[in-house]
Amino acid sequence: MSVRDLKGSGRWWALAGCLLWLAFTFFPLYWVAITSFKSPLGVVGGPTYIPFVDFDPTLTAWSELLSGARGQFYNTFIASTIIGLSASVLATFIGSMAAYALVRFTFEVKLLSGVIFVVVAFGGYLLGRHVLGYGQAISLIFAFVAALALAIGSSRMKLPGPLLGNDDIVFWFVSQRMFPPIVAAFALFLMYTEMGKLGFKLVDTYTGLTFAYVAFSLPIVIWLMRDFFAALPVEVEEAAMVDNVPSWRIFFGIVLPMSKPGLIATFMITLAFVWNEFLFALFLTSSKWQTLPILVAGQNSQRGDEWWSISAAALVAIIPMVVMAGILSRLMRSGLLLGAIK
Amino acid sequence: MSQVCLDQVTKSFGSVAVIPPLDLVIADKEFVVLVGPSGCGKTTTLRMIAGLEQATSGEIRIGERDVTTLRPGLRNCSMVFQNYALYPHMTVAENIGYGMKVRGTPKEDINAAVANAARILNLGAYLNRKPSALSGGQRQRVAIGRAIVRQPDVFLFDEPLSNLDAKLRIEMRTEIKLLHRRLQTTIVYVTHDQVEAMTMADRVVVMNQGRIEQAADPITLYESPKNLFVAAFIGAPSMNFVEGRLEADGGGGGVVFRADGDVPITVPARMVKHLSAGIGQAVVLGIRPEHTMTADPAFPTIRVHVADIEPLGPHTLAIGKAGASAFTAQIHAASRVRPEDTIQIPIDPEKMHFFLKSTGEALRLDC
Repeated sequence: MSVRDLKGSGRWWALAGCLLWLAFTFFPLYWVAITSFKSPLGVVGGPTYIPFVDFDPTLTAWSELLSGARGQFYNTFIASTIIGLSASVLATFIGSMAAYALVRFTFEVKLLSGVIFVVVAFGGYLLGRHVLGYGQAISLIFAFVAALALAIGSSRMKLPGPLLGNDDIVFWFVSQRMFPPIVAAFALFLMYTEMGKLGFKLVDTYTGLTFAYVAFSLPIVIWLMRDFFAALPVEVEEAAMVDNVPSWRIFFGIVLPMSKPGLIATFMITLAFVWNEFLFALFLTSSKWQTLPILVAGQNSQRGDEWWSISAAALVAIIPMVVMAGILSRLMRSGLLLGAIK
Repeated sequence: MSQVCLDQVTKSFGSVAVIPPLDLVIADKEFVVLVGPSGCGKTTTLRMIAGLEQATSGEIRIGERDVTTLRPGLRNCSMVFQNYALYPHMTVAENIGYGMKVRGTPKEDINAAVANAARILNLGAYLNRKPSALSGGQRQRVAIGRAIVRQPDVFLFDEPLSNLDAKLRIEMRTEIKLLHRRLQTTIVYVTHDQVEAMTMADRVVVMNQGRIEQAADPITLYESPKNLFVAAFIGAPSMNFVEGRLEADGGGGGVVFRADGDVPITVPARMVKHLSAGIGQAVVLGIRPEHTMTADPAFPTIRVHVADIEPLGPHTLAIGKAGASAFTAQIHAASRVRPEDTIQIPIDPEKMHFFLKSTGEALRLDC
C-alpha cells in the first residue's frame, strides 16, 4: 500500500503528518539561520522566532565572520575544501581498487605471517629504540619495513596454521574503524612530530592531514564499494577478458563506469566524513591547514557562547555539503546497469 | 585449422571433482553442442576452453596451440553469454568495436568491421542505441556481433537463447545456424535444451556428471542411444521404459521380452543376434511415444492404464502407466480415449530399444 492510494480524510492526515515531520526536521536549520542574523542582545533576551516581527535582523555576525575578525575564515574554508575534495577523491580511488581486488580475486594470507608482522614490528621498534639506541622515527621505519618484508616473504612459504581469506581481510579493514579515533589520533600526532624531527614536516601540512584522512576513509570506502562491485554481473568482465581487454582497462573502462552510482555515493559519504571531521584536524593542524569544524568550535571557546557567530559559521560549513549532495544526487540515479544482462 | 582438443582434462573445485578425465576432439568448422542436465559440467567444460576456468589437469589445444595455461584473451575465442553481458554504458557500435579499440585497431577498420557485423545481424538501425533500449533478441545479436568482429578461431556459446521467449528462440536458432554456414568457424555451443541441441548441431555431446555419455550426430543419438541416460534425455516427450526380462523362446532361436504380468513381446529376428548378452537377464525395453501409433495387427501391444490425455492437435498424448512404469503413448487425435481407461497400445517392434538393467548400456549399438 502506498500513500498515493489513500482516499478522503486519510490522505489529509498523511499529509499533515508529513508536514509535521518536515517542520520537525527543518526547525534546527531554521533556528541556526535566524540566530545568525540576531544581535547578541536578541539571542540572550529569550526565544524569538520570526525576523522583522519578533526581532530586527542584523548582519553583525556575518560581517564579523567574513571580515576575518573571527579567525582566518577564507583560509579555513579553502583548506577544508582542498583537503576534503582531494582526500575523498584519493580514498575513493584507492579504496575502489582494493575493493575490486577483494571481490574478484582470491587472497590467502597465513595467520602466522600476520603474527610475524606484529612481533617483528613491535620487537624491532623496541630493539631499535632501547637496545640499539636509535631515534623513535628511525626505529619505527626500520621495524615496519623489516616486518613487512618478512611477512610478505613468509606468506610465500609453506607455513602451518590457519589461512585467512578475503572476508578476513575485509574485516581487518573495517576493524580499523571500531576503536575510538582518539587512540589513533594521538599516536598519529606523535608519529607525525617524530617525522617532523627527521625533516618531513607532517603536522599542520596538507600532506599530513590528507594522508590521515585517506587512511581513515579507506575502510568505509572498501566496505561500501565491495558491495557495489559484488553486485556487478561478472559475465560482463569475463566477456571483456575473453576479448583480450587488459585487467586495468576492464577496471577503468568497464567496471568503474558501471558502478558510477556507487562511486558517487561513496565519494559523498567520504566527503561528508572528511568535511565534518574534528578530532584529527584538532590534533594534526594548528593554523595554516585548520578546517571548518575547528573554526566553528572555536567560536564557542574564545569569548564564551556566542551563538550568533557559531550559527553563521555552522551555516557556512553546512551549505557546501548541501550543494554538493544536490549536484551529485542527480548522478547517483540507479538503472545504470540496465541492458548489461537479462 | 582450428580444431579444439581436450585431452584427459579434469576439473575440481577444492576436493569436489566436477569433471573426471575428459577427452573430446572438436573438428575444424564443426558445430558441436554440449548438452545435459544442469550441473553436468557442460558449462565448466566450455569455460575451460575459454580459459575462464583453469583445468586442474590435462591439456587443451586450439588448432596446434597448447592453450591449457594461456589466459582467456590470448586464446582467440569469442564467447556469447546466456545473459548477454553487454557493456551497459556503451552504445551498440561501441560494444561491438570495444575489443578492437582496446587492441589499437585503426578507426576505419573498426567502423568497417562494426558495419559488417551490423549488416550480418540486422543491427544497422540500432548502432547508436544503448543496450537498455534494445529487446532481448537484439541484445543477444549485439553480443554475437561482438563475438564476430573478433574473427575468432572458435565461437563459444553458453546457453545464448535461454533468456529469450520461445518464438524468438526458434528464430535465433536458425540465425545462428546460418551464421555458422556463412562464417565457417568452429562452434562449441552449450545448452540444456535437447531440442536446441538436436536442431543445431553437427554433433551432439551428451554429458552427465562430468562424463560424456555419447557424442554423435543428432539422428544417431535418436535412433541408437548408447545407454539409458541418452535414451531418456534425447527426444520429447521422452522414451518410455518398461522393465522385464529377455527369454529364449523355445528352441526356434527366437527371443521374447516378458514384462511383469503382461503378454510377452516377440523380438524381431533381425534384432535377436544383438541381444544374446541380455538373454535371461533383467532388461529395460525402451520405446518412444511416437512409435506407438501404427495399429498394425501384427504388432505386439502393451496394456496402458491412462491417467491423463494431452491433445496436441496433430496427435494426442495418453499419459499413464504400463504395469509399474510410467508410459506415454502417442495416439490418434480422433481417438476417444478418456482418463481412467485401460487401452492396448501397439508397439512398433522395429523401433524397440533394449538396455541391460544392471549397467544401463544399450544392447543393439550397431543398428
